Amino acid sequence: MSGASAPANGLEAVRALYDGLVADKRFVETAPLHTDFARGEEVAALLRAECRLLDARRFDDWLSFWEDDALFWVPLDPEAHPGEDQSLLLDDRRRLGERVWRMNDKTAWGIWPPPKITRVLGGVETWTAPGADHEVLVASSLIIHYVRREHAWQTAGHQIHRLRNSGRGWRLCRKILVLPLIQTGVPNLGWLL
Amino acid sequence: MDDPSLRPDSVIRRGPDLSAELDHLVQSDLVHRGLYTDQGLFDLEMERVFGGTWCYLGHESEIAEPGSFVRRRLGRRQILLVRTGEGELRGLLNRCTHRGTTLVGEDRGCAKRFVCPYHGWSFALDGRILGLPLSASYDKLYERPFDLGQIEVASYRGFVFGTLAADPMPLEGWLGAAKPWLDEHIDRHPGGAIRVVPTSIKFEFRGNWKLSWDNAADGLHATFAHRSYNLIGKEAKTETVLARNPATTTMVSRTLGHGHCVVDQRPGIPGGPWSTMRPLPTRDALEASLEERGLHRPETLDLATGNMINLSLFPNLILVGNQLMVVEPLAVDRTRLTFYLALADHAPDEVNALRLRVDEDFISFGTPDDLEMFERVQEGLAVVEEEWIDISRGDNAGDQIDANGRVVGDIASEAPIRGYLQAWKKLMAKPIPTKVRRSRIEAAKFARQGKRASA
Repeated sequence: MSGASAPANGLEAVRALYDGLVADKRFVETAPLHTDFARGEEVAALLRAECRLLDARRFDDWLSFWEDDALFWVPLDPEAHPGEDQSLLLDDRRRLGERVWRMNDKTAWGIWPPPKITRVLGGVETWTAPGADHEVLVASSLIIHYVRREHAWQTAGHQIHRLRNSGRGWRLCRKILVLPLIQTGVPNLGWLL
Repeated sequence: MDDPSLRPDSVIRRGPDLSAELDHLVQSDLVHRGLYTDQGLFDLEMERVFGGTWCYLGHESEIAEPGSFVRRRLGRRQILLVRTGEGELRGLLNRCTHRGTTLVGEDRGCAKRFVCPYHGWSFALDGRILGLPLSASYDKLYERPFDLGQIEVASYRGFVFGTLAADPMPLEGWLGAAKPWLDEHIDRHPGGAIRVVPTSIKFEFRGNWKLSWDNAADGLHATFAHRSYNLIGKEAKTETVLARNPATTTMVSRTLGHGHCVVDQRPGIPGGPWSTMRPLPTRDALEASLEERGLHRPETLDLATGNMINLSLFPNLILVGNQLMVVEPLAVDRTRLTFYLALADHAPDEVNALRLRVDEDFISFGTPDDLEMFERVQEGLAVVEEEWIDISRGDNAGDQIDANGRVVGDIASEAPIRGYLQAWKKLMAKPIPTKVRRSRIEAAKFARQGKRASA
């Protein structure tokens, strides 16, 4: 969990990170109704902006919203654990940067010419993250519509964001994207952020 | 009983003899587009290639416990790969012998018995029927062959294969020259212990399954199709395993008989597998942990990534990186690739923690471009008037053939394509005798009639 002191051993630190991701997901799955509507609206604005920036391919702007301890996780199964199961991806800040770099690489044949994506955000709920006053956990649902080279595809899922406000406004620390369709077989997802 | 298909234990040869047609479609240096586009050939592949020879079904580590099962596909058939209470492996057809309902809807699980949700018939883990409601409404129930249909399954060091062929060649003979290469994959894991992680990555592409097969041993595409992956490597000052000059690399491809082949990339990476890896999420922390424990050795880190030996076991298993990639045809122009991650249980925990992140790398930055190429080949093959695809590269131009007829070529050689297509042609040309196995066919009247007839 962020906020706690980092374990000395590297393996334990990695396990703690993974357990933290699972804990975030469990928290929102079992959380009560959110009641802090004012802050919920404030945070929803960032999530809406994230959708808008990604759809507009403003990836560098999007990346600038991320903290240095960024984690972006796309599990293959809603019950998966990032330290025990394979994932579609689990990125730190550096690999997110590579993903953004590749979005504009014209030799990334699978994602260039780029797809046109529409993200539809819904159901935003917010809670103070346990043990971290300046962090919130945000649950939302997402529909992703994809069009590229005469083909359309769409999927839906749930997002869990952990946001931090350390004086510069709300910024992204963690994002978990749970897309049930992944379990049945999906086309090239090299464009997914 | 003139119709042999009425006997549940019959050996049947289905479909036409296509020898002459296939001699035309698969020539020594050309292959016809129809192999990728023809519905009739696809339908026959679902019986003769996926059913008529050994196909990979799963790994024993996935069904380690008694009663555990995974649901897999063999062509169009659903197969329950089961570990019985006695520890045996069984390949049950997921098809109730009453009305044909699939018995099990889950991809994996643990069961004491399988109960059909439609009319409540129940079956033991070895396929024997245990019970059905209102059994008195059948005359001579015991004579009816209601035990579940099964396929032949066999395991080589944990890798389980299945077939409906009535008289398949022994599995080890079928692996043949590929066996030492599979051993190499297994033995690099300490104690030979591989554990396959349950969650798999499933990608689908709009193309024929053989496009992924062609690609697996195609060393040339790595330079061009994966240019973006190699550029990302360069950004991180890392020479990825694919960033090679195809004209000068010392990597080799080999055909291994029965359609199997291998691309051995080791000669081209003197720094060893780990030298080809870029920075990865958690890499620094895990390397520090190995350092702290005095385990930070090149051979330990090499174990975190693949062994740089891409082994293809025709028709459906490709070992690449730490993945067991299974090719599943869904339609003539639609294929699913399922990637199962292998862990090394007796390796330091850091190795397996790294493996979780290592293979995401190519899946993220390499695989999308492969899938794109498969779809674009399929699109291009729609041109009816361009009937032929040249597969001659390397032949009489660098390939060396040994006394067993196996070919060693450079990574641009298309000998692996020619090799598997000959195996494909052999399987597809003539009807293959197939048979559905059952636990107790001898108790059924069909078998007793047969015995009377032969007495």
